[in-house]
Amino acid sequence: MSGNRRRATNAIEVNFLARLIMFVCFLGLAGLFFVYLKNQQHAVGNQSRMLEAEIRETEAKNAALQARITAMTSRGALQRRLDEGYIRLEAIRDVAIARVTPPATAEADGVLRTASRDSDTRFGPGVPQRVLKR
Amino acid sequence: MKGVSGRIFWVCLLLVLIFTGFAWRLINLQVLQHDHFSGIASEKHSFRKVIPARRGEILDRYGEKLAVNIPVRTVTADGTHIKDPKALAKVAAPFLGMSEKELEEKFSTKDPYVVIRKEVSEEKAQEMIRAMEQAKLRGLYLEEGSIRSYPNGEMLCHILGFADRSGKGIDGIEKVFDAELAGHEGFRRIEHDRKGREIVVYRGQEQLPEQGSDISLTIDMGLQAIVEHEIETVYKELRPVSATAILADPATGEILAMACRPNFDPNKFNEAKPEQMRNRAITDMYEPGSTFKIVVAAAALNDKIVDEKSRIYCENGLFQYGGKTIKDHHKAGDMSVGEILQYSSNIGSAKMSLRMKDGDYYGYVRRFGFGEKTGIPLHGEITGLVQPPHRWDMLTKTRMAYGQSVAVTPIQMVMGMSVIANGGKLMKPRLVLSKGEGSAVRETEPIREVVSGKTAEFVSTALEKVVSQQGTAPLARVEGFSVAGKTGTAQKISPRGGYLDGRYIVSFAGFMPAEKPRLMGLVIVDDASIGASANYGGLVAAPVFSKICSRAARYLDLLPSGTTIAHASHSEEKP
Repeated sequence: MSGNRRRATNAIEVNFLARLIMFVCFLGLAGLFFVYLKNQQHAVGNQSRMLEAEIRETEAKNAALQARITAMTSRGALQRRLDEGYIRLEAIRDVAIARVTPPATAEADGVLRTASRDSDTRFGPGVPQRVLKR
Repeated sequence: MKGVSGRIFWVCLLLVLIFTGFAWRLINLQVLQHDHFSGIASEKHSFRKVIPARRGEILDRYGEKLAVNIPVRTVTADGTHIKDPKALAKVAAPFLGMSEKELEEKFSTKDPYVVIRKEVSEEKAQEMIRAMEQAKLRGLYLEEGSIRSYPNGEMLCHILGFADRSGKGIDGIEKVFDAELAGHEGFRRIEHDRKGREIVVYRGQEQLPEQGSDISLTIDMGLQAIVEHEIETVYKELRPVSATAILADPATGEILAMACRPNFDPNKFNEAKPEQMRNRAITDMYEPGSTFKIVVAAAALNDKIVDEKSRIYCENGLFQYGGKTIKDHHKAGDMSVGEILQYSSNIGSAKMSLRMKDGDYYGYVRRFGFGEKTGIPLHGEITGLVQPPHRWDMLTKTRMAYGQSVAVTPIQMVMGMSVIANGGKLMKPRLVLSKGEGSAVRETEPIREVVSGKTAEFVSTALEKVVSQQGTAPLARVEGFSVAGKTGTAQKISPRGGYLDGRYIVSFAGFMPAEKPRLMGLVIVDDASIGASANYGGLVAAPVFSKICSRAARYLDLLPSGTTIAHASHSEEKP
């Protein structure tokens, strides 16, 4: 009788069950990890979007400020302010000028000059180089 | 028992049918109609976002900014995202400068794209978005853009031109170099969530914009300011129809300054009248009068028809030719070529032209660059008017010798006079120094040698005497510098034919220092509101030239070459 009962009882296959549970857990963990990575990806994407927006905003602000500075310091604007008396031009005293190259003096050639720039380089070969360096 | 089995069968069959239905629907949605539904989804969430290119700036030769961009935003609304139009209107109204009622009407829509306001400043647009976030409202979005600004206003307007609100160049440098300035816009395929925010991980194809190139002009704003000030003064004081002044470097053909009156503010181009927008330096032609005598003198000398010592009988001031009388103000018998230029003798010039063959004389006129476009990179340049010999009547040749029966543009006159200043070589006018960072700066090369260096030197020496106390333009002198130049006083042509009495276009074209020219200048005053007795090139245009060049010499720190200055009585020719 007891032998028959033993035969009718389903034996639990521990090894198989353990493998199954392990597989399901692995699948579950892999799924969770995938979701975690996806979330991270979205979060980082969101951060980079906000950062890009911030950079764009800063660039735009910078450009707007530069345009305003240009407008306020343009020749037209400065001339207007000069005419209004808001600013004035003051002659630079000779003692306040630091000369890099010794100036040609009136005693040397009998010619009065207005400043010490070298006139020959003004439109000479030096000009295009200055423009290229900019 | 049989009844139970039957019921189980029918339930199972029902379940099979239900799940078969679901499976079919799934296949239908996912496979058979995949393209259709993915298209709808793509339309809703994915779109091509344009990344605008920055328009290049225009700079002077030393990098001073002449045309810049001001970033602005276009505010748009998505009606499907707006839940409370009234609240949103209340928040947005102060930043958009619109009434709450007007905004509420615009917000009460289900349209996903409505432009609310263009050209909103960057600061106000950002403040508005922050205020919306604080009030937990959504539905308004910002689009990037920029408007063109010209910080110097009216200064240099005819060269710069202007760009319209869409950023397209319409006139001047803005138009000629529109392709270089505009660059190429980029794009990015993006998807956004239901709140309209971009989902960065689903970014698709992307192409970065190619930014527009900055363009450096040959203009020197220091000189431009001087020219603008002097031309404005003469325009206000003498109230002419128009006034034009050009400064150039004769050795390279670089245009250093160019100003015309009337002018306009390119920041308000829609308020400008057509006559204000015309760059008269290239679009208008005029009879040059005596300034044109340099052509016949140089041609006759170069072809050895006359030489430095030749004496030409000037008929004591009255010469009958072709049934007409040619008159000289300075009545003289024999005159040398130098004296003909110095005293601006119409008779002497006419007689020199008569000694030349028609074809040769015409050839020289053309070789000086008259009758053809100079090639300055600006739209609207005209060729002027030089009739070929087969269309000449008996008087044309003699008239052309003293600047009648021929029409030139101011820029042609500048380049023509530069031939004398530049050792006989004709240069192409140059306005652009470089296009974009690192672009090569081309060396200027002469178009052709018009006359020999010796001829040019002789004419130049004669032109120095024009500015002497005995010449026609002592008021063109510049203290400390030798100046060479020629006055021109031409009667205005009547639209009905013939000339208008008492109305003149006066001019002075000259260069300095005469021995090593650094500046070539032209001043033209069209129909100044003064008496005919004072309306001469030597009395109206020459002093303006003198003022411009005096200030320019100080600005450029040119080494003085002479020391004398004096005032003299006037004896210039009117045709």
